[in-house]
Amino acid sequence: MFRSIQKGKAHLLIALCCLLGVSMGGTLVQAEDGAAASYNYSFWGDTVASPAAYQATTLLSGPGLGVGPFKDPSDLHVTPDKQIYVLDSGNNRIVILDEQFNPVTTIDSFDRGGQADTFQSPQGLFVTEQKHVLIADTGHNRVVHLDQDFKLVKIVEAPESELLQDTFLFQPVRVVMDKAQRIYVMATGVFDGFIEFNADGAFTSFIGANRVYIDPVEYFWKRLSTRAQRSQMVMFTPTEFTNLDIDDEGFIYATNGDLWGDNIKKLNAQGNDILRRTGYFNPQGDVRYTNENGPSRLVDIDVADSEMYSVLDSKRGRVFTYSGDGHFMYVFGGIGNQLGEFNTPAAIERVGDDILVLDKALGEITVFQTTEYGRTLNEAVRSYYRGEEEKAFQLFNQTINMNANLEFAYAGIGKSLLRQGDYEEAMKYFKRSMDQRNYSKAFLLFRKQVMREHFATIMTVIVVLAACALLVRKYRRTMVRKRGVSIE
Amino acid sequence: MNKELFKYPLNLIVHPFNGYWDLKYDRSQKLNLIISFAVLFLLAVTNILSSQYSGFLVNLFNPNEMNSFMEVLYVVVPVLFWCVANWSLTTLMDGEGKFVEIFTSTCFALIPLVVINFPWIWLSNVISIQETAFYYFSNSVAVIWFVFLLFVGNMTVHQFTPSKTIGIIILTVVAMGFMAFISLLFFSLVQQIIAFISVIYQELVMRN
Repeated sequence: MFRSIQKGKAHLLIALCCLLGVSMGGTLVQAEDGAAASYNYSFWGDTVASPAAYQATTLLSGPGLGVGPFKDPSDLHVTPDKQIYVLDSGNNRIVILDEQFNPVTTIDSFDRGGQADTFQSPQGLFVTEQKHVLIADTGHNRVVHLDQDFKLVKIVEAPESELLQDTFLFQPVRVVMDKAQRIYVMATGVFDGFIEFNADGAFTSFIGANRVYIDPVEYFWKRLSTRAQRSQMVMFTPTEFTNLDIDDEGFIYATNGDLWGDNIKKLNAQGNDILRRTGYFNPQGDVRYTNENGPSRLVDIDVADSEMYSVLDSKRGRVFTYSGDGHFMYVFGGIGNQLGEFNTPAAIERVGDDILVLDKALGEITVFQTTEYGRTLNEAVRSYYRGEEEKAFQLFNQTINMNANLEFAYAGIGKSLLRQGDYEEAMKYFKRSMDQRNYSKAFLLFRKQVMREHFATIMTVIVVLAACALLVRKYRRTMVRKRGVSIE
Repeated sequence: MNKELFKYPLNLIVHPFNGYWDLKYDRSQKLNLIISFAVLFLLAVTNILSSQYSGFLVNLFNPNEMNSFMEVLYVVVPVLFWCVANWSLTTLMDGEGKFVEIFTSTCFALIPLVVINFPWIWLSNVISIQETAFYYFSNSVAVIWFVFLLFVGNMTVHQFTPSKTIGIIILTVVAMGFMAFISLLFFSLVQQIIAFISVIYQELVMRN
C-alpha cells in the first residue's frame, strides 16, 4: 500500500511535469497504409500492430448494379440465404440483391386494401428468417410488415400508452422482430428504451432504457439554482440508442451514443444488459483516442454466428469485431477516399464471412473479404465457441504465428493445454495472455501434481529436519544443565 | 557487534517503546546510521525484486515501465521528505529530536516492510488466486506495523504526548505536500530557464 501511494505520487509528479513543461503528444498510433495492416490493443492498453483481417475487394453503387443511383440509403439487411436488402431511403424503395450482387427485385410500394401505398423516407429495415420484411416507415410514422411476397401483413401505428406524452410523435428509425414475432422499434425522441409490440402489433412495453449519467458539476449548479432557473436548464435524460440487432436466440444487441459507460449492450427479455465483458477492455470501439476527437460513436451493430459481433464507428469509420467473451478481434475501415474507406458509414451487415458497409452520403456499399489471418481467427473463435478444443488449439496456434500480439489467443491455447493435462505449459500460455484466473486454475493442478510426485521426498525431508531440530534442542539443554550444575 | 546488528533492530520492532528509547539515549549513533542505511537499501532491493519476481497472480507489472532507479527513488525521496518536513515542524514545536534521530527512527520503522514483504516475493509464486488474500493481508499488516512504529518512534524521539504526535504526523504529511509542490515549481522553472537559454544559444548559432 505504501508503495502504491508513492507510485501514485510519482505519477502525479510526472503528470504535473508534463503539464508545466512539454505538451503531451497524445496521438493514436495507427498502422501505416490502412489496407495492409491493422492494430489491436494489448493488455496494457497500448496499440500494437496486427495484420489486416479484412480487405476491401469491391465497391457497389446503384448505377453499377443497374438499379439507378442510391440516394441516402440508411440500412441494409442480409437473410440467411445471403440475399441482400438495401433500404434506399431517399428513393423510398428497397433494393434486393442476390449473393453475386445482381438485382433481384425492387419494392417501392405495397398493396393496402386494394390501393397502392408507398414509403416516406424509411430509415430502418429488418428481414426475418421467413423473409418477412419490416420497414420503419419514418415519414409516415409507422412500421410496415410485409410477408415474403411483399404482401401487407400489418401496419404498426404509434403506441398508445399513458407513459407517453400527448405531443409524442412516433418516428420509428430501426426495427427488429424476434422468433415469436414480437417487434422491437427504436424511435427518435424516446428515452425509455425500445418500444416492444406483440405479434398483433399492439404496444406492450418499453425495454432496456439506458442509465442516466449525471455530470457532477452540472448537478452542483442545479442544486444552487432556483426552480425557475432549473426549468431553463438541460434535463438529465438517458441517452438514446443508435441501433439494434437481434441474434438467433432472441437477444437484442444495441449500441448507444454514451460517452460514459457501456455503449454496447446485449439485452435479454427483461431488458437487462447481459453482454460478457471479459476481454482486456470493455467492448467500446477505440480504447485510445485524443481528447479532441473523443471516443467512438457507434451507429450500427451486427451479430454473427458464435456470438461474434461487429460494431461500426461513424466518427472514424472503423468496424470493430468482438468475440462473445468480449475480446477485441480485429478492426478495419476508416474515413477517406480510397477503397475500404468511407465518407459517412451508416450500416454494416455480414454475408457469410464477408462484411458489407453502407455509405450513406455516397450511396455505396463496400464489400470486405477476409484475409488468411481473418479467416483463421474467425474459425479459431468459432471452434473455441463450439468447444472443439483440439481444433481451436491448432487454429489459435496458426493465428499466433501470423500475429504474436494477439494476447487472448494464448488463453485459447492455454485452455486446451489445460484440458490435455499439460498444466505447466498451460500456465505459460495463460501468463502470456495475462489471464490470472485461468493461470491460477492451471497452477493449482500443477501444484497438486508436483506434490503428488514428490510427496515421499518432501515428507522425508520434513521428518528428518524435525528430528534434527529435536536432537539439537535436547543436546543444548543437556549442555546447559551440565554447565549449570558445574557452576553451582 | 555483528550479532547486535541483527538483534537490535529486530528487537526494536517488537518492543518499540523500549527500543526507541534505547535508540535515542543508549545506542551509538554510528550503529544506528549503519542500520538505517542498510534498511533503506534492503527496502529498495525488496521493492525492485518484488516488482520483478513476485508471483504473476499478485503482480501485474508492465516490464516496459519497470525502472530500478525509480524504485530506489520511491524509497529514498519519501523518507527524506518525511524527515525534513518532520524536523522542520518539530523544531518549531518543542520537539527534542535531532535530525539524525528522526532519520534513524523513520528507517527503523521501515523494517516490517522488508521483513514481511521479502519472503512474500518468493511465497507469492506458489499461491493460487484464492490464497492471495493472505498476501494482501500480510501486506496490510506490514503497513499498519510500519505506521505504528513511525508513531511510536516520533513520540519517543521528540518526547511528545500521543495526541500531539498524531497532530504532528498529520502536519508533516501536509508539509510534505507543500515541499513536493515547491520542488516541482523549482524544477519546472529551472527547466524553463534552461530551455530559454538553449533557445537563445540556438538563435545565436544559427544566425551566422
